[in-house]
Amino acid sequence: MLARKKRNTPVIVITAFLILLIAVVPQFTSTYTVRILSVALINYLCVLSVYVLLGLCGQNSFAQAGFWGIGAYIAGNILTKTFGGSLTAFVAAVCGTAFLAFILGFAFFRLRQYYFTFASIGLMTILNVLFINWVDFSGGALGMKEIPTFQLFGFSADSETSKLYVVFAVCLVATFLILLLFHSSLGRSFMAIRDNEMAADSMGINSLLTKSIAFAISGALCGAAGAMWASVSGYLSYQSFTYNQSTIYLVMIMIGGTGSPIGALIGTAAITILQEGFRSLQDYMQLIYGIGVIILMIFQPEGIWGGGKILYERFRKHREKSKVSAV
Amino acid sequence: MNVLGNTEKNPKLVLSDVCKNFGGVVAARDINLEIFGGEVVGLIGPNGAGKTTLINLITGVYKVDKGKIYFKGKDITAQATYQRAIQGIGRTFQHPHLLDRCDIWTNIIMGSDMAARKKHGNKVDLDKVLPELLECAGLQAIYLDDPMSKLSYGQQKLLEVVRVLLSQPDILLLDEPAAGLNNRETQYVSDLIRYAVKHDIGVLLIEHSMELVMSICDRITVLNFGHQITTGLPEEVQNNTEVIEAYLGGGLADAED
Amino acid sequence: MFIQLLISGIAVGVIYGLIAMGMVLIFRTVGIMNFAQGDFLMFGGYFAYTFNQMFGLNIVISLILAALCMGVIGVIFMRTSYWALRKAQAKAIIVSAMGASIVLREGARHIWGAIPLTLDRVKEGSVVLAGATIQWQYVAIIGIALLMMLLVYFLLEKTFIGNIMQATAQDQYMSSLVGIPVVVSIGLTFALSAVITGICGGLLAPIFFLNNTMGTMAGSKAFAAIVIGGFGSVPGAIIGGLIVGLVEQFGGAYISSTYQLALIYIVLIVFLMFRPKGLFQEKIQEKA
Repeated sequence: MLARKKRNTPVIVITAFLILLIAVVPQFTSTYTVRILSVALINYLCVLSVYVLLGLCGQNSFAQAGFWGIGAYIAGNILTKTFGGSLTAFVAAVCGTAFLAFILGFAFFRLRQYYFTFASIGLMTILNVLFINWVDFSGGALGMKEIPTFQLFGFSADSETSKLYVVFAVCLVATFLILLLFHSSLGRSFMAIRDNEMAADSMGINSLLTKSIAFAISGALCGAAGAMWASVSGYLSYQSFTYNQSTIYLVMIMIGGTGSPIGALIGTAAITILQEGFRSLQDYMQLIYGIGVIILMIFQPEGIWGGGKILYERFRKHREKSKVSAV
Repeated sequence: MNVLGNTEKNPKLVLSDVCKNFGGVVAARDINLEIFGGEVVGLIGPNGAGKTTLINLITGVYKVDKGKIYFKGKDITAQATYQRAIQGIGRTFQHPHLLDRCDIWTNIIMGSDMAARKKHGNKVDLDKVLPELLECAGLQAIYLDDPMSKLSYGQQKLLEVVRVLLSQPDILLLDEPAAGLNNRETQYVSDLIRYAVKHDIGVLLIEHSMELVMSICDRITVLNFGHQITTGLPEEVQNNTEVIEAYLGGGLADAED
Repeated sequence: MFIQLLISGIAVGVIYGLIAMGMVLIFRTVGIMNFAQGDFLMFGGYFAYTFNQMFGLNIVISLILAALCMGVIGVIFMRTSYWALRKAQAKAIIVSAMGASIVLREGARHIWGAIPLTLDRVKEGSVVLAGATIQWQYVAIIGIALLMMLLVYFLLEKTFIGNIMQATAQDQYMSSLVGIPVVVSIGLTFALSAVITGICGGLLAPIFFLNNTMGTMAGSKAFAAIVIGGFGSVPGAIIGGLIVGLVEQFGGAYISSTYQLALIYIVLIVFLMFRPKGLFQEKIQEKA
């Protein structure tokens, strides 16, 4: 009775499929497609950070694009001013962003729910203003140019394909770590706070500390995404790191479903495909996107993955019932 | 001093002159209470007598206005809820506070997570303890992978008790564990309380079902309008004129629901 | 200089306050923050532009007509992106409002174009007051805003419709039991909220110019106003709006114009640290 089925099959299947896809696609397509894939995977890292914060811990933050920017600028500064190598830049971006998020979390999580959300909107705006005006750190309105690509142990990610591989490797590791988190005691305390903060309190969970840790983990993911973005694009502009970008992450996770990292992946893929597929409709793209979001929320508020799961459960129940009646 | 006369043991939880007002309403006035390991103290009184408030004061959901709370000889009056919980004050709620978007397994495992969070906590041997506990609660037939919504209201309340027992508390505060339960489920509640007593856990039981209270409690404290009317053995309380008056005056019907 | 800033701060502040009030009305009724409120502002401005500049009507009449149009938009918005989702989790409704916000923004761009537009002022020219030159538009904004607040107060407190709306805000289930059509009542609330915000758009357009992204900025300042005022409190929203407007004008002039926007949020966050539930916090205690 105590033995539980571990339903990890979807994760394994999807991972295998993705590895195959990432390995094969660059051989047959243009560098443009490869670039799109890299950008989508970077977005996925940020959406994963929203998954940790919103999906696991139930806290809605609009500052994710800001943390993404901080990670990118930290990595960009280290790489362009050659304070250190690629690994240093990556680690500094991850740790620096996580540390900042942790400290800010302690201040911000004294606020609850909506108050926290709005404080995070404020933080996002402040960060964006900083990116525009703090020229030494971000290059100001001109942006930061000519950031060298990643180099590690003599391997240099010069081509778009090799950049894609680096980003993909980081995504794999990050997803694996988040799955571990999901099954850990820390992950469960996140979920306790999400579902019932009073119960969490009575189970001895320090909610301020735990939420700050969740914020730090999501910050680390954004930092990693930022470091990747600095190296993939080679150019950083404050216009990337805006409140609107944060809302896109939220839309992505909601479209995919907040229940699992697979939802984050599906949401990112869906929005990317939509944006690229309807590129010919350029002018009406955004309009279609907005209407699509509303329609999806009306018919599938749990997102694509969440809704699919519910359908599957219903199908299974139906089949079991018909089996019983057949006997 | 205590009624049982087991002076060689120290009480695990001591409330000394605890007071709490909400605006002009007296929720607790000079409450004195001791709970020893392995005994069951009943807390009864008409609705609005301040029973749940007392649990919230002990767990730190509300801060006391006056008075001290000692746990295992330490003053915990100023501590936060989660700190008190880690030290070993476990509680359940009148309406079960479970993680309704997680499966049953996650809900149960939260208890042993908490045991691991304690400073000197021993690791819970789940394979041994959990089947025993689930059997006490009559939950041995449930599937742990199912979502919470598969359980009935009574099963959810029982599961909450199982969860808190898994966390190996020293004191267990039960807020109407049998309210809304049928007879068989009420039997499971008393089984779980006996399990707690066997493991030297002190239980504070709020309950309206007199049958359960009289059958299982070692001592009973009666509250009315935040005042502690009396504390004593079940028989004494049953024959106390003040208690009878409080119940009749406050409406016996209220106390029965 | 000081008086000028004071007047412009108050004028901009009451506008933010009115947008915030529109959000609070919705929040009190359905418990959801409307992330598309700023776009109501933009749409109202464009409607006023249409009647004023395209049809050549008087600005006051244009504002009234724009208000009527906004009422319709409010009902449509409520029917599409709230009512169908009312049983879903709050975050789904927030995301659908964001979708609606994109639709409104892009719709406006397709209808009216992306070039910044302007429309007539309520009264041209300026007045000299205590040595400071003050544009009539600011005075008009303050006057019209006060009038609107009075009207809304009268509507909510003294009329039958207002009572129905208040009852629905307090308890939807109970209201449906006593025979109030909840869907109509909520629709009216959304319409009222859109009307208030839309008129603000028409008033603000001559000062800041109309473009299809003006809503985002104004909306986020209204958020700040709500948070400072405390959720669910109408007077709190107005006072919060005034604080935001004054900080914006004085901060921009005396401290730093580059960090003007950041300043508002720094004030907001510092404020929240010391008073985590706003000025007029509602006393709701979690029951164990």
